[in-house]
Order: sequence, then C-alpha cells, then structure tokens
Amino acid sequence: MNKIVCIILVVLSFSNNTKAQSIQIVKFNELKQRVFIHSDTTYVVNFFASWCKPCLDEMPTFIEFIDSTKNTKIKVLFISMDSKNELDKNLKKVVEKYNLPPIYLLDEPNGNNWINDIDKKWIGAIPATLIVKKGRKKHFITSTITYQNLINLTE
Amino acid sequence: MKKLKNIFIVSVYLFIVSAFAIKQKETILDFSLKNTDGKMVSLANYKEAKGFIIVFTCNHCPFAKLYPPRLNALNSKYDSLGVPLIAISSTDTMMYEEDTYPKMIAKATDEQFNFPYLFDELQSVAKNFKAQKTPHAFIIWKENEKWVIKYNGAIDDNGMEPEKVTEHYVANAVDALLANKKITIPETKSIGCQIAFRK
Repeated sequence: MNKIVCIILVVLSFSNNTKAQSIQIVKFNELKQRVFIHSDTTYVVNFFASWCKPCLDEMPTFIEFIDSTKNTKIKVLFISMDSKNELDKNLKKVVEKYNLPPIYLLDEPNGNNWINDIDKKWIGAIPATLIVKKGRKKHFITSTITYQNLINLTE
Repeated sequence: MKKLKNIFIVSVYLFIVSAFAIKQKETILDFSLKNTDGKMVSLANYKEAKGFIIVFTCNHCPFAKLYPPRLNALNSKYDSLGVPLIAISSTDTMMYEEDTYPKMIAKATDEQFNFPYLFDELQSVAKNFKAQKTPHAFIIWKENEKWVIKYNGAIDDNGMEPEKVTEHYVANAVDALLANKKITIPETKSIGCQIAFRK
C-alpha cells in the first residue's frame, strides 16, 4: 500500500515539474530569433495574457487549430504578457485549463521597446496574432480570430 | 528589374503617405460625460486649461489597475499648472460587469481619485480619440480654440514596477509643452486591454 502511495507521489511530483517547465521566460530578441528565421515552418504567434478575457475566449480556437494541423509545418507559439512576478498566480492555471503547449512569457516591461518591431500599427492591445512564413511577417491580426481565419491565413 | 521598380514606387508612395500623416494635426471634439459624482463634465468647463491629460482606463484591466496612484500624482502636479487629468472609461459594460457605472463610483472612492472618472457609455469619446486600449493616455493642447492631440501612448515605461520607471512619457511631454518646447517622444506603445467597440 505504502509503495503505491509512494509511486503516486513520485508521479504527481514529476507531472508538476513538467507543468512548471512549460512556461519559458524570454526576451524579445530571443523571440525574434526563434520566429524570424528562414525555415519551412509557418509560425502563428499569439500574444495573450491570463487576465485578458477575449484572449482566453479564443484559446479553444487555437487548440482546435493546433490539433488539426498536427502533421503540418505550422507551429503555434503562445506569448504571454503576464508579469513574471505573478506567473504562479494565474498563468499556470490558464496553461493547465486549456492544456497549452509550452508557452513563452515575454519579459519586456516597456512595450515601447518592441511593439513597433512586430507591427507599426499595433497600439499594444491584446489579443493579437502574428503569422510568419519563411521568416517573414505575412499577417498581423488584432481582432478576434476564427478557426477559418487561421486556416486561410496559414495556407 | 520590374520588381525593383515596384519597390521604388511603393517606397515613394509610403514616404508621401507618412509625410502627410505627420503634417496633419489631429484634433478632437469636446464631449460631455457623467462623472462618478453624478455631474456632467466637458472640456469647456475648464476655462483656464492650457491642455489636458486624458487617460482611457477602466476598472477591470490589470494594467489599468497599476496606475491610479500615478494618475493622482500627475493630477496633483499638473492641475495647478493648467493641465488637469481626466480619466475616461469606455469599456463595454456588457462584456465586463466590473466596469459598470456603480463600480466606477466605488473604484473612484476606494482609490481616492483626485481627478474626474467619466463614463463613456456610448464609447463615442474613445472613438473620437481613436483610443484602443486601457490604459491609453493622450495629451491635448489648446491651439486656436481647438484641442490638438500632442501625445498618444503609455503613461510611463514600466507598468508592472513603478519603482523601475525611467521614462515618464506623459509628464515629460507636458513639461515640454508648458516650456514651449518640442516633445521628444510624442508617441509610445504599451500592452493593454483592448477596448472592444460594440457593433
């Protein structure tokens, strides 16, 4: 009996560990190097935050899109605008709730240093989604996105 | 070669468009909105004002929640210099119950706002300013009896950690205007909560 409890505890602590590792803190330059490289992969980069209601509303759409494009060269990256100091509070819950793939937390307190690099017209409101093909920006959407939008824009 | 030509035409076009955009002065119209004390507020009420700091904010947005003490400080400093601060909530209350008028009254009381907190129920003032998120600050200045937008963007460069702020964008811009100098940074970007406009 004790042995079983022990195994369960070990398994639980292990799964907790993987969850903790699924949020990676990055700087904007690291993100840029990750996304804007010439490759076959099309990146769908979603800027969101755990406190942003419209962002969470579109999470199921992204999850559906990820499932349906599993065997393609399309990769969805979730970039959180949450504060790294409050990561434990809400962001982890969101990651668990929607079963998100590993996500990135952008550690850039001053939006003015990087928002224009994504899109000159972007004022900084989220949600916002960037689509990059072969290392080049193809689309930038600041309104709510639909599944069909995602399919069409990544074609 | 054709491609090069196209690029050239597009660049010339962009150059003209952007030059035009810089030249054009954006003015805004006066408004009349209800304050949390029940009274209506218009820019015209402030006979002595040289300009205003207008901040689109709201109750629910975590980024907006970080700023009330800083807004109080800005108003304390600049109201007496002829540049009062006015906060406006234009968030869709159908989407966020936290942003309804009674909750705005509670917020203004709890956080001891020393500035008006106006309810833009029809979202028309936000549209007039082209405000898109909270917090989103503007500085307007009186020129030939018109209100001209002089600054558009963030309040400062660090929402999360006020003690780490190095650039006080709004304060610097007001200081420049008061001193009759050119604003060094007239536009900035920052992350915020989208103001969803009702269709």
